Amino acid sequence: MVEDFSLSLRERDVARSATGRGKARDQLVVGPALTLALRAVPLPEGEGGGALMRLSIGMGLLLLISAIALAQGVDPAMLLKPPSDTWPTYHGDYSGQRHSKLTQITPDNVSRLSQIWRWQAGAPQQIKASPILVNGVIYITTPDNLWALEARTGRERWHYVAPKNDAFHIGHRGVAVYKDTVYLTTPDAHLIALNAKDGTVKWNVEIADSNKGFWSTNAPLIVGNHVMVGVSGDFDNVPGQLKSVDADTGKTQWIFYSTPPAGMSDPPSGGATGGQMWMTGTYDPELDLVYVGTGNPTPVLNGEARPGDNPWTCSIVAIRPDTGKLVWGFQASPHDTHDWDAAEVPVLVDGNFNGVPRKMLMQASRNGYFFVLDRTTGKNLLTSPFATVNWAKEIDKDGRPIPDPNKEPKPDGVLVAPNEAGATNYRSPSFDPATGSLIVSAQDGYGIYFFKKEHGAYGWAGADYNLTGRAFLRAIDYQTGKIRWSHPLGDGAAAAGVLTTATGLTFTGDVPGNAMALRTTDGATLWHAQVGRMGNPPVTYQLDGRQFVLLGGGNSLIAFALPQ
Amino acid sequence: MKLIFIYLIIAALQQQSPASRKPPQTVTPQTYGPELIRAGEARFGAECGFCHGRDTAGGETGPDLTRSTFVAEDARGDKIIPLLRTGRIERGMPAFDLNAADLEAIVAFIHDQKTKGELVAGGRGTVDASDLDTGDAEAGKRYFNGAGTCSSCHSPTGDLAGLATRFRGLPLLQRFLSPTTTRPSPAPAKVTVTTSTGEVTAGSLASRDEFRISLRDASGATRTWLTKEVKIAIDDPVSVHFELLGKYTDSDMHNVYAYLKTLL
Repeated sequence: MVEDFSLSLRERDVARSATGRGKARDQLVVGPALTLALRAVPLPEGEGGGALMRLSIGMGLLLLISAIALAQGVDPAMLLKPPSDTWPTYHGDYSGQRHSKLTQITPDNVSRLSQIWRWQAGAPQQIKASPILVNGVIYITTPDNLWALEARTGRERWHYVAPKNDAFHIGHRGVAVYKDTVYLTTPDAHLIALNAKDGTVKWNVEIADSNKGFWSTNAPLIVGNHVMVGVSGDFDNVPGQLKSVDADTGKTQWIFYSTPPAGMSDPPSGGATGGQMWMTGTYDPELDLVYVGTGNPTPVLNGEARPGDNPWTCSIVAIRPDTGKLVWGFQASPHDTHDWDAAEVPVLVDGNFNGVPRKMLMQASRNGYFFVLDRTTGKNLLTSPFATVNWAKEIDKDGRPIPDPNKEPKPDGVLVAPNEAGATNYRSPSFDPATGSLIVSAQDGYGIYFFKKEHGAYGWAGADYNLTGRAFLRAIDYQTGKIRWSHPLGDGAAAAGVLTTATGLTFTGDVPGNAMALRTTDGATLWHAQVGRMGNPPVTYQLDGRQFVLLGGGNSLIAFALPQ
Repeated sequence: MKLIFIYLIIAALQQQSPASRKPPQTVTPQTYGPELIRAGEARFGAECGFCHGRDTAGGETGPDLTRSTFVAEDARGDKIIPLLRTGRIERGMPAFDLNAADLEAIVAFIHDQKTKGELVAGGRGTVDASDLDTGDAEAGKRYFNGAGTCSSCHSPTGDLAGLATRFRGLPLLQRFLSPTTTRPSPAPAKVTVTTSTGEVTAGSLASRDEFRISLRDASGATRTWLTKEVKIAIDDPVSVHFELLGKYTDSDMHNVYAYLKTLL
């Protein structure tokens, strides 16, 4: 999906030597933007190539003009094929594969990776966000906080602090960038648009009412002029909502409800609320569909109060970005009573499945099952566990694991795998096209789940206790669901996401706080550095001809590269 | 929101269940002004509520603070505030960078909720010891000595004598299912490290990851090696409990619990 960057990199080197190192940053970045515009027309290839070509013919000239005016303007065409010196969205691109075509760091030289710079947030809050890189500036967040850093040095350019608020400060996933605007969600579920160059506020709109129990950690997804913002909220019985606002004005365009608010006559959710879309979705420009995972229903552990499957909670939904209309839905956990959001990244892959070319969607879900869907129709192609599970009695004809009523929370407790933290969680997986593996941070874990009438039917409505777990990085063969290799990451659950590169490297972090690079074919460790606990997914990009791997350890952001 | 909160307290008052295990009593009784408590409710909700519940009675992953011995032993933040500043990283609790006023308010709210919790039995989200009394002690004893293989390591008159006086209710169930994640920690694994030159060091496992291993030797000193440079032998019988979690049925779990309850 990502363009071959070798040509544009060479051309940028020419641009750099012409302008001199370290000066006129805007001239440096005009190089690849121009290259992209010129190359995009004659050379569409891979997934989305057709769409790109159609788009390119219409937009080529426009892109050229905007490239000159705005340097590395983040516009619809750029988001379809992000240049290699950017990481412009949460997943890096629309596919959610978190796979880079960069080739400077290889299995042979990765052991020489060295820290180039390290930036520490002024607060102890762990960095859980994906860094976003555009125009040589990195945007990184914790709840209420957004920093703009020089990508070459880690030097702080500006720091924005959101108005003080009393909503949950549990984590933050990162920002979205479009044109010259940075979009930040706040714990009290506002969306703030800031000037990319200085962090001044353009506008601030409320996405949902935090007094009702909503909060937000979301890194918005931008398609066209739609900024799609998700919220959280499973401590209260509130409807699941994804709101799209106009990128320029913040005006609401549409709201998609995964569970309808009172008074709406959408598909019956059986009395369930919840199903929040708190993770960033993915997008297929050819099908013009946005894919988002939805969270658990509320009340959380009390299933009696909400009979039936409770659509569209714990589901993957396909939505039309212009209208917010549901095109299809697939329920990963019908009638969930264990807090297993299906919010994990829906990864988009084009390839053969059983010898037939398919446009697929893959998700390693918090409930312990790996799903492959046909993303045109939502039809299930494969369902297979990737971690210890004991809660499903069968896989139904539609590929959905059907919960065993004996494993629903009980007054005297039931022993359930996975535990509430899940077989995986928000931490991003990565798809490696060379081996056909989805590589995911997994946990084999157990918990005990309780529900009795006194727990009521509001919010959590029950009690559960994680017992213990063991963390692994697992490579799942998407054709069969078989585990190719399983690399132990320590006791508990690892918190890092995953990044793969075209040279066969897999970057992630373990429970005791080591960042590590593994060989993608067999999971062997090739490099590690003690950085403190990684709470975010690593990213990579190439600046001035040098490939960086940027990852978070504790409350620090650390840039690694090969010595020069 | 306020209405809901009040409703929950009323609901809890109306639906008292027999709490056979009382929450630990606050050692140093302490009272706080209503404004401070209100400020604390807001800050607690924002900073701590996700894990501990907005009402301190437990949320995602964090324990119920109204039943916490640690809170019971705190006097005006002398234990809670240092803990908030350092966190309990190894147990998933982060450190918090809060100003003195916020810390004081949070402490006030926790203690106020704790005091209310001592008055209200069977609150939201709690598990009472009586809830767990559904097993058959005889069947549990058979499983303990038979299929469960518990008796290959444990003895009701040896290491487990008096177990039910040390752990009751949910903590007893958790101790049996996953001893390593309960307190006090069980004895650490025994480790023997052999270097390439043949030097052998034995001791108790202090920490371990893929790249380093540390043990405490007989003198109490901590020694660390790179795992790739030494041979390591670990004797860790407690780890068997993890494998057993995949074998218990829910009946086995409740029956063994019923049996362990008899070990007074």
